Amino acid sequence: MVRFWQRHARRFVLPIGGLVITGLMLLPIYFTIESSLAPSSSFQALSQSLVPSHFVLSNYRMAFDQESGSIITSLLIALGAVVLSVGIALPAAYGLTKLGYLKSRAVVSVAIIVLLVTQMVPGISLTLAFYKLFFHLHLLNSIPGLILADSTNGMPFATLVLRAYMGSIPDQLTDAAYVDGASEWRTFRSVIAPLAVPGIVTAGLFVFLFAWGDFLYAYTLTAGGNVTPLTKGILSFFTNNTVNWGGVLATVVLAAIPSGLILSFGQRYVMGGLRAGALKG
Amino acid sequence: MNRKLPREELTPPERRATWSVRAKVGVNEAPTLARPADYGHDTSGRPARRAGLWHWVRLHQRQAALLAFVVPALTYVILFFAYPLIYGFTMSVERIGFIAQSGPFIGFHNYSVEINDPVTREALLNTAIFLVASLFFQFTIGLGIASYFSRRFFLSGFLRSLIIIPWLFPPIASGTIFAIMFAGQGGIIDETLQSLHLISSPIFWFDSSFKAMFVITFVNIWIGIPFNAVLLYSGLQDIPNELREASSLDGAGAWQRFRYITAPLLRPVSLIVIMLGIIYTVKTFDLVIVLTNGGPDNGSQLMSTWAYTLAFQNFQTGQGAAVANMLFVFCMIVAFFYIRATRRDVAAAA
Repeated sequence: MVRFWQRHARRFVLPIGGLVITGLMLLPIYFTIESSLAPSSSFQALSQSLVPSHFVLSNYRMAFDQESGSIITSLLIALGAVVLSVGIALPAAYGLTKLGYLKSRAVVSVAIIVLLVTQMVPGISLTLAFYKLFFHLHLLNSIPGLILADSTNGMPFATLVLRAYMGSIPDQLTDAAYVDGASEWRTFRSVIAPLAVPGIVTAGLFVFLFAWGDFLYAYTLTAGGNVTPLTKGILSFFTNNTVNWGGVLATVVLAAIPSGLILSFGQRYVMGGLRAGALKG
Repeated sequence: MNRKLPREELTPPERRATWSVRAKVGVNEAPTLARPADYGHDTSGRPARRAGLWHWVRLHQRQAALLAFVVPALTYVILFFAYPLIYGFTMSVERIGFIAQSGPFIGFHNYSVEINDPVTREALLNTAIFLVASLFFQFTIGLGIASYFSRRFFLSGFLRSLIIIPWLFPPIASGTIFAIMFAGQGGIIDETLQSLHLISSPIFWFDSSFKAMFVITFVNIWIGIPFNAVLLYSGLQDIPNELREASSLDGAGAWQRFRYITAPLLRPVSLIVIMLGIIYTVKTFDLVIVLTNGGPDNGSQLMSTWAYTLAFQNFQTGQGAAVANMLFVFCMIVAFFYIRATRRDVAAAA
């Protein structure tokens, strides 16, 4: 028996076990997709069969009718947060990387610690003050306001990821630019920024996902207003609609599309970012 | 142009050599094993060989130019972290009703009111139980998955990449999925349990504090498993296989290999994973709002949602700010230990 196990484990048993583990983890997602495509809008039918007899798109049509405005709002916010966060993070990462070479390690250590700490500030502790400040600055219930607030999630992370990435660019390149008389700005713009594109993609993907998935600021800083990011839209769709849960689940699928795309096309960036952001500081 | 470049003086040639070889060969060091000296740019304590006024000026010019690159980030951190946190503190020592108003200074009254409020105590207890249960199961299940997938087999890479999906979902989306699955009548979980004859009548998952907290914790565990699994997997990959092989040649069994090789070497990564898990978990907000909205009767409030409820729904903003600040202080204590645990990496990175 032991020998049988040893001989066949790698070929059959391990993959089957792996499939079972993955299947269990993804069961809720399967349920979501299946229910969003199921023909009946009555909820009782959802659990009747594991595989629906045929698929319809009516739930998605309904989700689009209901939520297309919030999809656009969320896209604008997420893209704005990417531009703002990466726009701030990229030069900062360059400055911190080069300062580390120039007798300024204490400055860099402090900066890294500050960035790590900002990631640990709970959003609820910020959002009360944001609400009051934005109220007076007329930024409540506005897309720019949400871009500014959502960047609190993305900016520190983007800086850390980009800094970790720039550390892997050989410094002979910047030395060469320096020897040729390039200014720091020129070196940054023409040498480092083009080389840092993979790092920029990683940072941008994460900032996008953070802002796209943000609920706290979307919920609090638009209270009572008509700017509705998709996360807030899902909640109101769900709480106002106890009949057609298929439509709600179709909206959930739409909200998950960016994650799915990133998983399909950007996985190595995600994995790299996870490790760089979490471990390398 | 002065050919004596400060840059060359600052970086000793022998270190530059190792650095460039490292870059060419592409040797990736395990982050936790990185030593500051290997990064080759530490010149503190070394007298500049041709130090002169000119050199000093050039060095400081460059430092000033580089600091300018950091100024936007610094401005953002001051405006969107430091200032709101200070502002939030001043809100917590005032009597404020509606959030946009200001009120008279009342010292730490809001804090003492909230510490004696039974709902705050329940929220604190809920948060503690939620935290411990989430972390325990996320970590153990994540570690199980990580070690299972660290044995390479057919499809392992593909399946491993699918497992991170729950973590990439917007939490509000995951919360909505489970809110529908756990629905009291006609929810798929109740239906399944009934058809398996495990229960005779539907369970109403959200009618008691205990069940509501169970559901919230369950969903949070599901969300957190991938994060733990991915980081622990990479931690396992960093452990040299030779160590395990050597110990099994010495007659160590699977448990002994785990106990004496894997566990101690995985400790640094585990610490970081757990501390990041604490931070993510303690911030949880969306799940509670969509699953229970803090109910029934405030029975599933966490500190974060309770601060929100006080400020935005009960119009007791001062007290809400006090609760939010208590949560902030807790997070900063965790942050302190996180920085301490990673300080070698920070030093190496600088």
